[in-house]
Amino acid sequence: MSPQGTTSSRFAQIHPRNCWYMLATSDEVGREPLGRRAVDIGVVLFRTTDGTAVALEDRCAHRPYPLSLGRVDGDHIVSGYSGFVYDARGFCVHVPTQSEIPVGARVRAFPLHEDGVFVWAWLGEPSLAALRPPPVTPWLSDPGWSTLGEVWETKADLLLLHENFADITHVAVVDPFIAPPVLRSSPPPLEVEVTETTVSFSRTYQPAPIPAWQAELLGLPADAEHVQHEQGAFVTPGLWVDRWDVYEESGAGETKVHTFRFTHAITPISSGRTRHAWRVSRNFALGEQAGRVLLPIFTDYYRRVQRILETMEEVLDADGPRREINVSADAAALQVRKIIRNMVADETGAGLRRSVSAASRAVRNR
Amino acid sequence: MPFDKLRAHSQEAQSRSRQSQGAWGRILSAAPLAAIVRIQTNCWLLRRADAIVTVTTTKTIIREHETDLVVREARAVADDVVVLTLADPRGAELPAWTPGAHVDLILSDDLTRQYSLCSSPSKPEVWQVGVLRAPDSRGGSERVHAALTPGSLVRVRGPRNHFPLVASRRYLFIAGGIGITPILPMIAEAEAAGADWHLHYGGRERASMAFLDELASYGDRVRIVPQDEMGMLDLESVLGTPQPDTLVYCCGPEGLLSAVEKFCESWPPGTLHLERFSAKPQELTGEAEASFELVLERSGLTLQVPPDKSVLTVIREAGVSVLASCLEGVCGTCETEVIDGDVDHRDSVLNEEEQASNEYMMVCVSRCRSPRLTLNL
Repeated sequence: MSPQGTTSSRFAQIHPRNCWYMLATSDEVGREPLGRRAVDIGVVLFRTTDGTAVALEDRCAHRPYPLSLGRVDGDHIVSGYSGFVYDARGFCVHVPTQSEIPVGARVRAFPLHEDGVFVWAWLGEPSLAALRPPPVTPWLSDPGWSTLGEVWETKADLLLLHENFADITHVAVVDPFIAPPVLRSSPPPLEVEVTETTVSFSRTYQPAPIPAWQAELLGLPADAEHVQHEQGAFVTPGLWVDRWDVYEESGAGETKVHTFRFTHAITPISSGRTRHAWRVSRNFALGEQAGRVLLPIFTDYYRRVQRILETMEEVLDADGPRREINVSADAAALQVRKIIRNMVADETGAGLRRSVSAASRAVRNR
Repeated sequence: MPFDKLRAHSQEAQSRSRQSQGAWGRILSAAPLAAIVRIQTNCWLLRRADAIVTVTTTKTIIREHETDLVVREARAVADDVVVLTLADPRGAELPAWTPGAHVDLILSDDLTRQYSLCSSPSKPEVWQVGVLRAPDSRGGSERVHAALTPGSLVRVRGPRNHFPLVASRRYLFIAGGIGITPILPMIAEAEAAGADWHLHYGGRERASMAFLDELASYGDRVRIVPQDEMGMLDLESVLGTPQPDTLVYCCGPEGLLSAVEKFCESWPPGTLHLERFSAKPQELTGEAEASFELVLERSGLTLQVPPDKSVLTVIREAGVSVLASCLEGVCGTCETEVIDGDVDHRDSVLNEEEQASNEYMMVCVSRCRSPRLTLNL
């Protein structure tokens, strides 16, 4: 496996590439070329005649012109400038001006995985794609769950999004309306669990009211108190999965669990720019009417978060980084930083994981 | 239902919740732990009751993934070497890992041993570890061979990785005996990536060397050196001349590790990656241990470390949750960020450059030379 570090500091790698990243939703990819950028690599996505999604490097081998500005022709993509034709494996199969194909005329083809909802691509060392199973989010297509969400770009670095997901106590400050009332009380202990590649956290709240809008949706009295449980998991640098459970004790000693699942597929476009696809799934109030109520509530919240993270990015750009004061509740965020830092160090061949080397600077390349 | 109405509802609910906060605080502090534990068992990841008991003293509890796995298979692969195949009893996928990772097998309350994963990261449904029965060791391997038969359960913590495969065009792998285990998934990935690699694998005799069949498929990239036929690994010919752009990975007995360390001194810094499963011999200075002040910045605590206590012990006695496992500076779990202080490194995880950078320390064994040590805890 070759070190993927590039020589120019302008293109120094700051995000892990050996990771499955969400490049597009399935319905965004069709018979027209779709240009996307991730981890500082331009990618063109399209479907061949049998519907298979393809991801190629978005740059013609002839001149620096994106293939996404060309057209799809059968199972091929044609450059909109040179007229070079490439197949789904990235090999040039036709050149307008001569019958022979120039040696080495090809573009990179990226391993791709489609799960029915998202199109994931592997932009790092290609041989590792088969050795790292793609993440699974089966609830997004499970009929037992109703899902809503949006996708947009946030002009903030991937790491700022991770740090935001790693600690949800800010929700009560950012959006008191959406926040479960328990977040405003003194929270119970947070349990953080780590592995080599993942970080998760969880805590259980003693019986307390739930937000009024959720009580309405569940048909429960607004002042009823419920045990609530929260859980969040950093699955990969490209995926967070969270959940919020509300326990409803029914008469016969049975407990119903009403669950929100939050899925955040986040993709670093470049330093300071991140694609964010968020999905909110629920196993209760499955109907469309509830969805129409919930979509504006969650859109409003995630827009607020987006504006805050973009403001943080602006402050970093203007003033540079500063040593931050962390608190005990930041344990999960610090573990996430460590995993990302180590991934970048190992991928770029920067060598030392634990020193003031290119690796640790890379994570906060500012 | 109209959005405005919801907003109005929510404001009402919020003022109600503010009034009742005091009551919740009392309920929380007096809450029977059993109630919390009961709910935990309904949830996503398995929780262990005893792990939550410390909650009254700390607000954040950090720990490694830990779970009971079932032994699906115990296969003898060489004299005194067994490969265990471990899986979740309900068939759930196990946490993702990369080559070089290891896990703790918790064999009893006072017997925990580290074993490298030797299966493939592409198979998240099982982990495999290779265990050599070593009669003169501390009893862990005897226990594994005797007790971990198919169908039995074993508590497993991890994985963690302090021996990662860093991207490179060329690798030299050197394995001694059971030290082949972490190397096995490494060469699979190096081969898949088209890297230029060679493995030098030494052992007592062929019959004692695990995975010879698997390694045969790699042809002349692998050199098998049974001592009874060919003598010791010829490190002079392998490492005598530093090669550019080549990373050296070594795992095996202490004698091999220290010899390889010696040879690699003339190689570029950052070349050598090795992993120890027992503590590196420490030079005893004969000086008495000093006491020093310990500042835990995030927790806002200033503590004193006396000569007879480790930094880790003092942190835990103060009720601050911190990761740790082997307590002898070999597993790397308690790696902690150093903010200030002249660390006296005594671990077997960090290499010389990493120790010199003074950015991280293993708080289970390392101490401080300066009067004050400040940690990001």
